[in-house]
Amino acid sequence: MTRAELDAAMARLGLAVPEGERDEIAAAAKYIADMTALLRKPRPVGAEPAHTPAFPEG
Amino acid sequence: MVPEYLTITEAAALIEKKEMSPVELVESRLGRVTKYDDRLHSFIRLTADQARAAAKAAESEIAAGRYRGPLHGIPIGLKDIYETGGIPTTGHSKVMQDHVPKADAFSVARLRDAGAIPLGKLATHEFAFGGPSFDLPWPPARNPWDTSRFTGGSSSGTGASVAAGLVLGGTGSDTGGSIRGPAAYCGLAGIKPTYGLISRAGILPLAFSLDHAGPMAWTTEDCAIMLQAMAGHDPADPASAKRAIPDYRAALTGDVKGLRIGLIRHFYSTDHEANAATRDAIDSAAKTYEGLGCSVREITLSPLAEWAACGVTIMLSEAFAIHQENLRKRFTDYGEIFRDRMALAGLITAGDYVQAVRRRRELVDELDNAMTNLDLVMTAAAPSEAPKIEEVGKFATMEKPSLTIPFNVTGSPAMSVCCGFTENNLPLSFQIVGKRFDDATVLRAAHAFEQATPYRGKRPSL
Repeated sequence: MTRAELDAAMARLGLAVPEGERDEIAAAAKYIADMTALLRKPRPVGAEPAHTPAFPEG
Repeated sequence: MVPEYLTITEAAALIEKKEMSPVELVESRLGRVTKYDDRLHSFIRLTADQARAAAKAAESEIAAGRYRGPLHGIPIGLKDIYETGGIPTTGHSKVMQDHVPKADAFSVARLRDAGAIPLGKLATHEFAFGGPSFDLPWPPARNPWDTSRFTGGSSSGTGASVAAGLVLGGTGSDTGGSIRGPAAYCGLAGIKPTYGLISRAGILPLAFSLDHAGPMAWTTEDCAIMLQAMAGHDPADPASAKRAIPDYRAALTGDVKGLRIGLIRHFYSTDHEANAATRDAIDSAAKTYEGLGCSVREITLSPLAEWAACGVTIMLSEAFAIHQENLRKRFTDYGEIFRDRMALAGLITAGDYVQAVRRRRELVDELDNAMTNLDLVMTAAAPSEAPKIEEVGKFATMEKPSLTIPFNVTGSPAMSVCCGFTENNLPLSFQIVGKRFDDATVLRAAHAFEQATPYRGKRPSL
């Protein structure tokens, strides 16, 4: 994520991130990108949120 | 003279026989806090007067023949996300520095009812997530085995105080490994019970669908005693299970013959490579189980990175939702680690969160299917011994996939068990995991391992 992209995202979120922390957050955004890429795959119909609260079974 | 180190089980036997008074025991632990905690920083608030009053009351009750059970008169510590009536509960954060709850958390009330005596509130990573941090109102806890080392987190004060014998047991919480990590690095027993077994009501949340409360103590038997008190249905927690609670201590028979254990080796051999000492210690633990009559066979699950992607995406999204308003209004009142991790969390889209929840369903089914013909699975609890505290990075939880979060995703009971020490006396651990609501088998297996090995006999030299 570029610094300009991060600045825009933080403005949209309304977070007053100190200047000195922004470059490090922008660099770490790759972790979020890598992680969410693993989740963006086609899934069968059974894999949907309504099934998740199946536990606790009690 | 009260011994330096005592387990709950040992102390309870002495108290029940009236060979030791709760007053003596509480005074001895307060003395240890005074003597050692300026180096360990495990307590952020000591409630000595209340503890002394409770100890006197317990002494009178026991003298009058009203012994309540194995927690009666036992000094414990409470992670400072467990609400305590009339006593500040801060999440180790400036943001809630002045928060004084009106009532105890459900599980705290249960512990008090069982006779346990809280000595105070324990350090945590900020809101059970941001740490180790040096810019909060209180310093981070230090590892009693080597104070230059990380305790693990987020139940950092519980790990440190129990290992150092300042308390005999304590409460932790575990959203991605926050009981099992500190238990591993501090050499304790720590169980994250099945999701829904212990009420979350009155515990500051990190991520609703992944948060688990649980006990940490020196031995599995002590954890079983605490779990017995803490578990039970609470209508105030929408996830609380309504089912009978078994006798966990009675399950500790020592007999594990015939148990079928799956070893998830790829989690720590390739997906998040553990160091040689850890790998060797887990191999040795597997052999110990075989020697006790268990069968151990290797199993393969989805890569650890996929479990972590699911769990961390859900954790960050739910945590961001909880803290969003305060982050907007007072971002810099949070410590730098917490707030910058939350800034990253804000980058996760609603679509990503839904995909993670969908993936969660698949992963829950995957573990259930893998365990069809198994009673337990085991894997690493941590990739190594405790690192130096200054080596833990701001985004460490995202740099490598967590070994513990898969079982938050599935809600399974999971426990850290000490399985050796490095050459420089730092604890090593493995993780043993059961089927949901079969916490008793997890405890039985962990207890049998402790009985078969010498590791519970070694304590940190302070």
